[in-house]
Amino acid sequence: MTDPLPDPMIPPISQTSEAEATQILHQWFSPAFPVGGFAYSHGLERVIADGQITSAAELQLWLSGVLAQGTGRLDAVLMAHAWRSDAMGLTELSDLAAALAPSAERRLETEAQGEAFARTVSALYGFDIGPMPYPVALGRAARLAGLPLAALLRMAVQAFAANLVSAAVRLVPLGQTEGQGVTMALLPLCAAIAKTAETAELDSIGSTALAADVASMRHEVQDVRLFRS
Amino acid sequence: MAARQPRAVGQAVLRSKRARGAARIDDLRTSGALKLLFPQSRAAHMLQAVFLNTAGGVTGGDRLSIAATAGQDSHLQLTSQAAERLYRAKAEETGCLDVTLTVESGARLDWVPQETIMFDGARTRRQFTVDLASDARFLAVEPLALGRLAMGERVGSGLLHDIWRVRQNGRLIFADNLFLEGDLAGTCAHPALLAGHLATASLLYVGPDAEAQLAPLRAALGPFGGASMLRENLLFARLLAPDAFDLRRPLLPAIRQLSGTDLPKTWML
Repeated sequence: MTDPLPDPMIPPISQTSEAEATQILHQWFSPAFPVGGFAYSHGLERVIADGQITSAAELQLWLSGVLAQGTGRLDAVLMAHAWRSDAMGLTELSDLAAALAPSAERRLETEAQGEAFARTVSALYGFDIGPMPYPVALGRAARLAGLPLAALLRMAVQAFAANLVSAAVRLVPLGQTEGQGVTMALLPLCAAIAKTAETAELDSIGSTALAADVASMRHEVQDVRLFRS
Repeated sequence: MAARQPRAVGQAVLRSKRARGAARIDDLRTSGALKLLFPQSRAAHMLQAVFLNTAGGVTGGDRLSIAATAGQDSHLQLTSQAAERLYRAKAEETGCLDVTLTVESGARLDWVPQETIMFDGARTRRQFTVDLASDARFLAVEPLALGRLAMGERVGSGLLHDIWRVRQNGRLIFADNLFLEGDLAGTCAHPALLAGHLATASLLYVGPDAEAQLAPLRAALGPFGGASMLRENLLFARLLAPDAFDLRRPLLPAIRQLSGTDLPKTWML
């Protein structure tokens, strides 16, 4: 898909250099950026407590499904559309992103991180971004900051994967190097998802990660919980 | 050149109303392959409508649509005469089912069809568009099986897109895009996807008593199901099972609980 025709409601693509863009994205997706990602396991805490992930190989397999046929791809496509969107489109995308959450905790995961991210970038850059689900807020902020879509998507999918690996390293537990091995092995998949999300139509996206959905629902009634999802 | 497969086209339009204390038919039109049956012999508090696809299943190029409205203060229950079957289609031909459900003020609508059975190579897109008044009640249960385990049927590939959009007072309150496509054998086996199961069901309930239904629903669904309050008055659940037969065991009590009535008789056959 090519970019839409110039529209006064859509900010122009500004001229942030590739080096600057890399720096900005690195800051946004650093675990130190106050989004609170460390608090969300996307249902992993339940899956691990149920004994379904006990090794790096099982973690990698589970994450590959969530990335390629679950939230990884879905959020990447929502993000790409938010990057291209005007203000009215952003409201619709935000409503859709929130309505697609299959459980209360998954909705919290996307809305609380999105709200924290929007508040932080608005304070840092003077952007006017209200509370909206995380992928929509990321797409909008990247557009306002003049960051290229392809780089945003690649970093965002990878950061989503790395955050869940980090949760699993604490929960299984796995060694730090084992965890990094899983992230490294998932990099080509993250890149491929980011690439297809650049041009994917909104009605071409869906989820098949039903066991991940059920895990996030069952996490709500887990006795001992460290994570908010 | 090979002849094109014959295409089934069918439409059903139904509207219920409340009159003299009972739910009655207000409007009814059907054409083509879709029929509507009304098994009740006399007026009751709830109008039960059973739809029937006389084409005997859905395949590539079929176009079916159901539009049902529960008129003000009436209660309408929609179910199916039999399990719907999705048959093999050519790669470029996708069957379409469009379901539009409207629930007016004070009304209730229950969408409780029997399971859909998807066969190898099927291609179907189903779009469910629901509009609810602010005080409407709504139940939707959509059970799905990939082949039948007991019959030795395996679904290796195919496409099923189930798209749900539910609005209340025009605001989107629930969306689901359940997409099964590509290597479905791999999808069924994958631990984060169907986790070795061949059957699934999605349940959505909107009503003022939704939160009170949460704990008993979780108990009914068992260890392979989950339920969650997505918003005030909106309850969503998913369930996985080894196959369609095993799916019914937790699903029937769950439907009985959420619908507050006995199951449609067609379900018992």
